[in-house]
Amino acid sequence: MIESLLASLQALKSTPEFAVGLTLVAFQVALLFYRKSKIVLLQPVIVAVTMVITVLLLLDVPYSDYQVAAEPVAFLIGPATIALAVPLYSQLRRIRQLFGPILITLLCGGSLTVILSVLFCWLLGGSEMLQMSLAPRSVTMPIAILVSDSLGGSMSLTAAFVMITGVFGAALAPWLLKLARVTEPAARGLSYGINAHAIGTVRALEESEECGAFSALGMSLFGVSLALLLPLLL
Amino acid sequence: MPVNGLTWLVVLQLLGALLQQWLLPTLPGPIIGLLLLFIWLLFYGRLPKSLEAAASPLLQYLPLLLVVPCVGLMNNLDTLQSQWLVIAGSLFGAMLITIPLSGWLMQWLIRRQQQKRGRHD
Repeated sequence: MIESLLASLQALKSTPEFAVGLTLVAFQVALLFYRKSKIVLLQPVIVAVTMVITVLLLLDVPYSDYQVAAEPVAFLIGPATIALAVPLYSQLRRIRQLFGPILITLLCGGSLTVILSVLFCWLLGGSEMLQMSLAPRSVTMPIAILVSDSLGGSMSLTAAFVMITGVFGAALAPWLLKLARVTEPAARGLSYGINAHAIGTVRALEESEECGAFSALGMSLFGVSLALLLPLLL
Repeated sequence: MPVNGLTWLVVLQLLGALLQQWLLPTLPGPIIGLLLLFIWLLFYGRLPKSLEAAASPLLQYLPLLLVVPCVGLMNNLDTLQSQWLVIAGSLFGAMLITIPLSGWLMQWLIRRQQQKRGRHD
């Protein structure tokens, strides 16, 4: 009886209902966990991914099987990435007068995050694949993984680096900005957005609405300009 | 289900993929779609309700959608384990410099602009 149940489960583990169901349930549990604990390190994505990987390893399902079966969920990343044009448009309309400072900071700060990540990785002896996976790490994840893929990096490594950047960037930024005596909400916000994408924006919103708006703007503008320029330059 | 807005997004994705195949092999298809939508919004001058109805739930649940590519990390666990020092060094080294520097630069530029404006008044 139990043996035939296990056999049935084995037969199901490469189906969409298993892969999609597992992903949805893991995310709901992770979301609940995050809301209860309020620990930044326990981002829903991190907890959900850990749970899914654990289940797949236990049931001996290779990633390629899960990836094919979970395509109904993953497909929507495309439309969602295109939908990022909506917040970019709304943000740009709001902020017109600081356009010059924003553009200069974005250009300098943004290129610096890319150059320094690649440079440090190269100095420490990291492979070219690792360098290319690190290059787009400070933009929002859907854009970062697309850019990483077109540069010859690993999408999933980049996804992990994006998460680490967001979590630790948002945790370190208040302290680092204080150290540099940055008090202007617009300046703090832009730094959050360029260096810690969505997680930084949540943190910026806790400081003030202006700080949050500039963070959201920095994140959207940086993401799109990196996607446009990096594949051409590297 | 906001199907109207979703239809536009999927059509834009198809268009992006087509343009990538045809003319712009270095740019990812969805990024071309994003740009097309952004340019269209600039010309149109406002945000259609149907588009917003599709965009906001998609963006809200983006972390859920991203779980699937993130799980690919299970194939890279050995890289993380053997290269963690290189990774941590590059990530934190860059972060410690760029976070204060970009904030400082923006603040300096804002104050310079304010001073210029003050002189003109």
